[in-house]
Amino acid sequence: MATEQRTRDGGDATTGPVTLVVRWMENLSETQFAYLLLTPALLLLAVIALWPLLSTFEMSLHADSLSGGVGELYSIDELFANYYDVITGKRNALMPSPFLPTELSLNAIFASALGVTLVFTLVSVFFETIVGFGQALVLNQDFRGRRWVRVAIIIPWAVPIVIQGMIFYLMFQPGIGLFVGQEGNPALLQQLGLIGGTPLADAQDATMIIIVADIWKTTAFMALLILAGLQSVDRNLYDVARVAGASKWQAFKKITLPIVLPTVLVAMLFRTIQAMRVYGIIETMAGCEVVPSLSCLVITSFDNTLNATAATVAFITAGIIAIVVSVYIVKYARDEMG
Amino acid sequence: MAGETPSGPAGDTGELKRGPFERWVDRAIKNPERAYRAMFYVVTAFFLFTTLFPFYWLLVLAVTPEARLYQAGLLPAGFNPDVFVSVFQQLPFHVYMFNSLVLATVTTIIVLLLASLAGYVFGRLEFPGKGILMLAILAISYFPPAAFFLPLWQLFNGNIVPGLNLYNTPGAMILPFSSLFMPLSIFILTTFYGQIPDGLEDAARVEGTTRLGALFRVIMPLSAPGVATAGVLTFIAVYNEFFFSFLMNDGQPDNWAPIVGGILQLKTAGQFESTFSVMAAGSIVAVLPVAVLVVVAQEKIVSGLTSGALKE
Repeated sequence: MATEQRTRDGGDATTGPVTLVVRWMENLSETQFAYLLLTPALLLLAVIALWPLLSTFEMSLHADSLSGGVGELYSIDELFANYYDVITGKRNALMPSPFLPTELSLNAIFASALGVTLVFTLVSVFFETIVGFGQALVLNQDFRGRRWVRVAIIIPWAVPIVIQGMIFYLMFQPGIGLFVGQEGNPALLQQLGLIGGTPLADAQDATMIIIVADIWKTTAFMALLILAGLQSVDRNLYDVARVAGASKWQAFKKITLPIVLPTVLVAMLFRTIQAMRVYGIIETMAGCEVVPSLSCLVITSFDNTLNATAATVAFITAGIIAIVVSVYIVKYARDEMG
Repeated sequence: MAGETPSGPAGDTGELKRGPFERWVDRAIKNPERAYRAMFYVVTAFFLFTTLFPFYWLLVLAVTPEARLYQAGLLPAGFNPDVFVSVFQQLPFHVYMFNSLVLATVTTIIVLLLASLAGYVFGRLEFPGKGILMLAILAISYFPPAAFFLPLWQLFNGNIVPGLNLYNTPGAMILPFSSLFMPLSIFILTTFYGQIPDGLEDAARVEGTTRLGALFRVIMPLSAPGVATAGVLTFIAVYNEFFFSFLMNDGQPDNWAPIVGGILQLKTAGQFESTFSVMAAGSIVAVLPVAVLVVVAQEKIVSGLTSGALKE
């Protein structure tokens, strides 16, 4: 690396502070320079992400305190008392909603934070994958107006969460909503018995509507990732398949699917991680009392000055997501090495 | 695949009289490409309908006069464009919009600056600890905002560092936004900066440019598409964010509440005054900036989302 430093025209001070800093920076080794440039980004992540994560864990080892903050640190032999109480249900009487279902019934599952979050995650990611695959197959064709179809498919993804929530809140508003009629004049979905008269106040109905809203908004993300996978397929393979007499379905099953599958799995993992943190859409549409997701439970516990309990739920949530993430990280690390 | 099947005359000469549908089926059986084509159009139309219908319906709801809302169906019952004015009269909705745009712009600038430095380091330099650091940044970005919330809330309310009261100021939102959305930009920019040939940087250095100067005057301009991609994605992400936008202020426009606050205020007001039309109109107004951005920058969004996510 060239280290000569020409004095700038008009730069009168050769020993001014700026020049000194520049000269100091030029003389750093590559490693020192790398860490110098990384400092601002790492500092931000350390203060706004890493420290809060560790601090949340520390808070979860304390007792609750009704006067704000957290209470006493638990002694060493019952350090994880909060975790024990939250998971076994001993804390249920205090908490806004239980962490695990209190009994094995549909109502109890939808009333518990982990239950409703898992239902939401599994169902929405499942349908997003299928619909996203369909959209990707459409976008993979050459046709006039493709650009505009793509815009139409992406736009829901770019809609702010609060507006997404507002749209579906209005749609299922009794009286004005398309899908909820008035008494004596029920709408189609009600006649079919799919939803009740006030769906957004009912845990199961509201969860289903929130899932539909999530599918509407985030399928585009899935579609774009799968589309990238589809476009990496060598088109010559299809010609070979046709010459060999394969039908379209056979070509899809034997060529497209195996090549795209890894991408689909990555996309599903991404969506799973995001779906596990669902909060805003619930808060806007139905409220955290009706659909108590994990993130909802953190905030409602916090609102009830159960800070240590809130920290415990937050850290369990982080832990569950970390397990999902580690699957991915291991794969990523393996790709990096190999 | 286009341009095939100039309607086969075979079907027309068929026996007896047939309805148009039967003729079509007949031709489709003889030529399956036709059937695939038709299926393709049906599926495309279905997707267009499902993604766009909610917006159309929002518009129907907005322009239907308040008193006739319950009559609105697939078509508006009446036409009342004044509702777009009342959004701004009922609430200082423009202040919420302004707050959102300022928060998104400032965050985008901070993220692009920090992610550029980091992307340069990860994309162009070799140093010990590189792999671990990238992995750590990746891992942190996956944790849920709820896992960061409690300590940050205390920090921004001056409970950790006395006197540091960021709650109800832009800082309480911009800091979490930046750290939340920076990793994606780092990975996008790492890819782009890594692709610039070493020769160009060396040439600039021989010319006497400093190391930082080479980044900002040579590498960044040459990677303009990558920088734009990272910028657009960050802007949209911040504009759409809910968690910290909702929890790090009290929802008042003077306290830097973004559109999350505005829309939720409309909703609470609506429960008393039943202003569903105004809620719909507010949603339309607030969605316009990102809708325009998507139309203008769709290529960037597509490439950024796919390369960013699949690279990570």
